[in-house]
Amino acid sequence: MKNNRLFFWVLTGPGTAFLLLFLILPLMSIVVFSFWRTESYHLYADWNLDNYRVLATNPSYVTFLLRSLFMASVVSFVSLVVAWPVAFFITRYGGQFKIILLLLTSTPFLTGEILRVTAMQQILGPIGLINMALTTFGFDPVTALMYSKTATAIGLIYLWLPFMVLAIHLSLLNFDFELLQVAKVNGARPLRAFWEVTWPLNRAGSAIGVVLVFIPTLASSITSKFLGGPNGALFGNILAHQFGSTGTWALGSAMGVVLFVISLLVLYIVWKSIGDLNRSGITIKGGAE
Amino acid sequence: MTITRRKLMQGAGAIALTSPFIRNAQAATLELRWLGWEHYNVASIVHGFEKEYGVKVSSGFFDGNSEAYNKLKTGGTTDYDLVMADGFWPRLYGKQGLTQPVDYGQLDNMQYVFDDFKAPNYMLLQEEGGTNMIAAPNCWGGYGLTVNLDKIAPEDADSLSVLFNPKYAGHVSTSARFEENIALAGILAANTLGTKDGPRPDGKPFNPYVLTDAELEEAKKLLIKQKSLLLTRWNDEDTLERLLRAQAVWVSPEWSGIYRRIAFDKMDGKSDLNMQHVLRPREGGLGWVDTWAITSGVDSERMELAHKWINWRLKPENMAIIATDVGWSPTVDVRKLIPERYVKTMFLNETGAIKGLYQFDAPSSPEKWERVWSEVEAA
Repeated sequence: MKNNRLFFWVLTGPGTAFLLLFLILPLMSIVVFSFWRTESYHLYADWNLDNYRVLATNPSYVTFLLRSLFMASVVSFVSLVVAWPVAFFITRYGGQFKIILLLLTSTPFLTGEILRVTAMQQILGPIGLINMALTTFGFDPVTALMYSKTATAIGLIYLWLPFMVLAIHLSLLNFDFELLQVAKVNGARPLRAFWEVTWPLNRAGSAIGVVLVFIPTLASSITSKFLGGPNGALFGNILAHQFGSTGTWALGSAMGVVLFVISLLVLYIVWKSIGDLNRSGITIKGGAE
Repeated sequence: MTITRRKLMQGAGAIALTSPFIRNAQAATLELRWLGWEHYNVASIVHGFEKEYGVKVSSGFFDGNSEAYNKLKTGGTTDYDLVMADGFWPRLYGKQGLTQPVDYGQLDNMQYVFDDFKAPNYMLLQEEGGTNMIAAPNCWGGYGLTVNLDKIAPEDADSLSVLFNPKYAGHVSTSARFEENIALAGILAANTLGTKDGPRPDGKPFNPYVLTDAELEEAKKLLIKQKSLLLTRWNDEDTLERLLRAQAVWVSPEWSGIYRRIAFDKMDGKSDLNMQHVLRPREGGLGWVDTWAITSGVDSERMELAHKWINWRLKPENMAIIATDVGWSPTVDVRKLIPERYVKTMFLNETGAIKGLYQFDAPSSPEKWERVWSEVEAA
């Protein structure tokens, strides 16, 4: 009994200490700072709710938050639509190459985020591949691709798509594809079979994919910084600004807390939407209990 | 094991005998740590210093003065012996007790510095209202306009209003630095409101980093209007250079390095672009002299070394490397050591221009400026 307890602490102790020290403690300090005040780069421990009042009432910060929520929704939805066929193809027809195909979709992750975003600039910008090709052939360049919210969305989808593919693939790995044959025998066309069999039984994979794309998009700043143009600042950009050049840490901390609370809310909604795991995604070939 | 008196004496004797060597070993590994802009970390200059004085040099980097200031405020004065700062920032460091006076008596190479960067011509290296020198100069420059004269009318080229002119919609760019965007718009706003040359609330001459509420409001309006004209706000010089070369951008404020590279290409017959750099637009412009300051955490042993480092950096041969290899204009007269085309494009025959440029500074109220910038970004 005593040995078991010791074994438990040896196994969980380092991880718990790490999380406490590097996750919980910084989060706590952010929460504390959010109730303080900054003035000319100084942080004063004057407890107040002013930062939250500013965030709730100043239209600029509300705009940034709405922009980010909208961007995260669009990026998650498009990623979901694009990732499904890819994940389906890899799982259903990938055979012995499944892992290799999956790894190939993650190849961009072998480089840093800034490099990937810079590469996107070379494709989407006014002197990028697409617009240069268009102008070479006498067409007008596509202005929507030049330093715009559309360019940011494309960049973010490119960044997070592999997470969505992975989540759906992992869900599909446990899916019994023979169910689709049964649906077909019973007269269902492929689209109907997808909607009534594949989709509901893999809802958990889609939901986890949405979480993995939605939350990082909500907090993202680098992609919009490089691709977004003058009208593309997101909540993450303004948050990063508070801790960088403006030195308004207290307001930045409050923004961080707001972002954290929204992320928790998204997790809760997704968790609720999944419902009964056995019936909505965690399917086991041969039947779940 | 028992420790006898004899063993104790033997141990003490051994320590006494070896201690001079221990001290020497410590001296040999004395480390000088500086915090500055990464481009100034030139290997040949650093290695030369290490070899000359038998010490080790390490460095930390930042992207802007406010970032460096925050680093020093959060314990950086014990982590770094020297810090780089430009414009009014050395005075702020001094006032906050983050740096300590620099002894110009130990800087022989100050004799090579242009008079335009010494008192009484340039006073920001001296403490406000005092006689102590608080920093030594390094490089200087403006934040002027690089203009494509094939696209921009000559009568518009030397005015800040070119950045707000609807005629050039879609081909204007500015950097993402919020302080300089507001300061440039502030100069134009003060001109429009007629407040630039009048008496100021603080009794000091006009400073675009200390704007009145009315000027700040006008600057905000200008910046919001400007958004529809901008192609992008650049975050790195490479991006701006590519956009200028491809003629996607016709005008942008920049440090003049891009202008110089394009001008060199033209001289070498590699480019046809007709570029001009306006160091001081007619309404006024921004400028900077970056400096070396010694942090308050430096002890007497490192103090001497810190002065040697500054003196080493001021050596004309080292400053010539900064000019040609790094691309910033030195405050030291290196005109005889570098090719003429560098002298011309680095404005080394026009160092007096620094007097007419408003020096980089901290915003008078970072909170107020942050709010203005957020409103501009959200509009």
